[in-house]
Amino acid sequence: MRYRDIHPIIEKVRPYCLEAAGRLKRFPQWSLKTLSSLMTSVYILGALALLYMVGTIFPQGGDIGEYAKAGGKYVSFVRFFDLLDFFSSPVFLLSALLLLLNLVVCTYKRYGPLFAKRVFPNTFDPTHTFKLTHDYPEALPEVRRVLHEKLGFRLVSKDNEWIVMEKGLSCRWLTWLYHAGIVLCFFGLILSYLFAFEGEMTLKPRTPLIVAPSTTGRLASLYQKTAGPAGFSLYLDDFSTEYIQHPGLDYPKDKLSRLAIGLGWKGPEYSMKNDPMTPKDWRSRLRVIKGGSTVKEKTIEVNDPLRYGGYTFYQVGYEQTLRIRVDFNPIALETKADGDIIVPGLDTPLRFGTVMTGTLYRLDGAVEKILPFTTVKAVLTGPPGGKKTEDLGKLELGGSIIVDGRRVSLADYEESSVLSYRYDPGVAVLWWGGAFVLIAMCLRFYGRSYMVAYAVDESDRIVCLNLHIVSKGLMADTEKLAGRIGYYLTRDDIRPVPLPPL
Amino acid sequence: MLKSASMSSYDLILSRDSYLLGLELRLYWSVAFLYGLSLLFFISHAITRGDTAGKTGQTTLLVTVTAHIALIVLRTFEAGRAPFQTLYETLSWFACSSSLTYLYVSRRWRSVYLPATLVAGLSLGACLYALLSRSPAVEPLSPPLQSYWFEWHVILAFFSYAVFVVSAAIELTCLIIKPLLSRGAARGYGLTLDAIDGLHTTAYRLVLFGYPLLTFAIFSGAAWANEAWGRYWSWDPKETWSLITWTVFTIYLHSKAIPGLKGLPASLFNILGFVCMMMTFLGVNWLAKLLGIPSLHVYAV
Ligand code: HEM
Repeated sequence: MRYRDIHPIIEKVRPYCLEAAGRLKRFPQWSLKTLSSLMTSVYILGALALLYMVGTIFPQGGDIGEYAKAGGKYVSFVRFFDLLDFFSSPVFLLSALLLLLNLVVCTYKRYGPLFAKRVFPNTFDPTHTFKLTHDYPEALPEVRRVLHEKLGFRLVSKDNEWIVMEKGLSCRWLTWLYHAGIVLCFFGLILSYLFAFEGEMTLKPRTPLIVAPSTTGRLASLYQKTAGPAGFSLYLDDFSTEYIQHPGLDYPKDKLSRLAIGLGWKGPEYSMKNDPMTPKDWRSRLRVIKGGSTVKEKTIEVNDPLRYGGYTFYQVGYEQTLRIRVDFNPIALETKADGDIIVPGLDTPLRFGTVMTGTLYRLDGAVEKILPFTTVKAVLTGPPGGKKTEDLGKLELGGSIIVDGRRVSLADYEESSVLSYRYDPGVAVLWWGGAFVLIAMCLRFYGRSYMVAYAVDESDRIVCLNLHIVSKGLMADTEKLAGRIGYYLTRDDIRPVPLPPL
Repeated sequence: MLKSASMSSYDLILSRDSYLLGLELRLYWSVAFLYGLSLLFFISHAITRGDTAGKTGQTTLLVTVTAHIALIVLRTFEAGRAPFQTLYETLSWFACSSSLTYLYVSRRWRSVYLPATLVAGLSLGACLYALLSRSPAVEPLSPPLQSYWFEWHVILAFFSYAVFVVSAAIELTCLIIKPLLSRGAARGYGLTLDAIDGLHTTAYRLVLFGYPLLTFAIFSGAAWANEAWGRYWSWDPKETWSLITWTVFTIYLHSKAIPGLKGLPASLFNILGFVCMMMTFLGVNWLAKLLGIPSLHVYAV
């Protein structure tokens, strides 16, 4: 084919190509402009709010098979958009990334102008006007003196006929700072997303256990399966439980009886049926052992974890192993608390409840050690999906009960502490970001800042001060400020004094 | 093993606690009744436009809130801790703080009572829900709740809720009354077109006040979860709805700075924020139920 033949086609296509090229050239500029716009943030935040909603409607962390079995609707749609793990799905992550981009561009673009000299339009509508008794040449420095010395205003500009002064922390800076704080929070979230991992470990008493995670962070999981041993072990010195007595309330469910209580015809009643006890706290006395010596010791409880080597260890629960003796057999059977056990020679399996042990805080203020005991139940075959049980009674440590003619006794038990651990380098960054956001936001919202533009006017020989007051922050009160300015400017004026009554 | 013989020594404590709870319930029902009464006065004001009905409603609301504060003090004494643990308790705090905030905000208004209808209605609803559907038993603090974050988290979250309720009540009043006023109708409510602008500003200032509180509530909730469970965010429906509420109020505040959005769209965002806040507080699982989607994460209340 010759050039002559394709020439007309080229000529036809050319304008489109040129336009496309032009658009491509303008694209970075256009995207920067769009990403720095406040309107874009409204769109993205709106889209994110909708996406969050999707994540609350569909059960997160669920299995699609289970979901379908439970009668869940729109199964293929749910699978396609990964709606059961929505907050890790590409759709969600991309949207969050877009907000971050929006925020970064916006914060970056607004950084320079923070230092730029502010330009005010030449004409203002005064919001307040005062008549002055000073001569025109004196009035200007006097107003300046009052604003600066009496009221603490700083000069911003005096280029044109209006002089501009401000007071308080700069709102632009504060707004910028908490947006930058949000960027810092995002950075923490990204660190968590890429590097955090967690797991659980069960610590037996007086048996050191090396901290060796079985997982690793998202990024590291691309090239290794586990994070490897942490280089120290944990040692459980002691595990203890505290209980409080907790009375039950006899209170009707139906609404009319409740109304009757409200009218004082009946009364609600607390009672103490079956010695009700509720766990108050679980405590583990832990030691961190490194190179054969103890490097840290702490008693942890729920809400008070142990931190070491980038890891945080949390008290999540405990596990009990019970040793059961049947008749006088020297070999004890082992069972977990709340698990079923088939005892040789007995027709029905038995279930031993949690061993209640530790300290009890009684309702009347008394504190006592609980003599360890468990409850025994016979597990009867029941309807499919649920087993029926029959209470056989309480069993103290060292005590016994007779089941089907056999003596069943609780010989011993052992308590292990269940800890969860987490390695998360993002948390500290997130808290710093959060503190930053909150402090800047509170200063901006609850504080007060004023900007005053003023000019002294002398038309018709009357000297006037024209003021334009702009305020930000909930504590700001423009009327009060105007009143104070007026007061200081007219304080020394000679006023007519009312004559005393004759 | 516990000695059952010692049980009789508790009789005094149990009868004292039962008596106090009975007293509390009677006071609580009275407070609900008073909220109902003030609501009736406000409705009557909305229908008749009479100043007397509005004024009486406002006075009744003041009496109600005073009694409600006494109720909360009594509950604090009964429980021996801040009364924000169960939904029964938080509903009470929600009703009281919303009405109290309303009374504070409206103290300078003359003859404007319409926003009170929503506030009193919500307070009544919250009290009745607590009284009719929740258990008033004083529960001991479970181990995860024994945290210094807990009280601050709940108190400030509910303070922000109270502020958002009042802001929405004002915004809603403006949205309904403004078109009527511009048609020359809706006289007698103490409102003019200028006053409506002032009310919009009040609604905006209330959100400005509540937004950092909500922000703190979200951060402190995350810090608390991090101390108790080792994970600061788990996309639990309650957490997620609080983030939705926060996002919607962010949109509202942004739209107040965008000339094309600062009017009606901003007002609608404010009301949407209030709806999301109510979802966070009460309706978390309602949407999933409505759409027939099985929820594996029914949030414990
Ligand atoms: C999670 C994201 C964000 C949050 C929580 C947030 C929060 C807020 C809040 C509460 C305000 C109103 C208070 C004030 O007037 O100072 C505000 C104002 C502002 N935001 Fe954001 N923002 C976010 C994202 C963005 C983004 C992405 C942009 C960039 C376009 C942006 C730009 C601005 C600007 C310029 C203002 C000042 C408006 C004015 O002139 O008053 N924000 N932001």
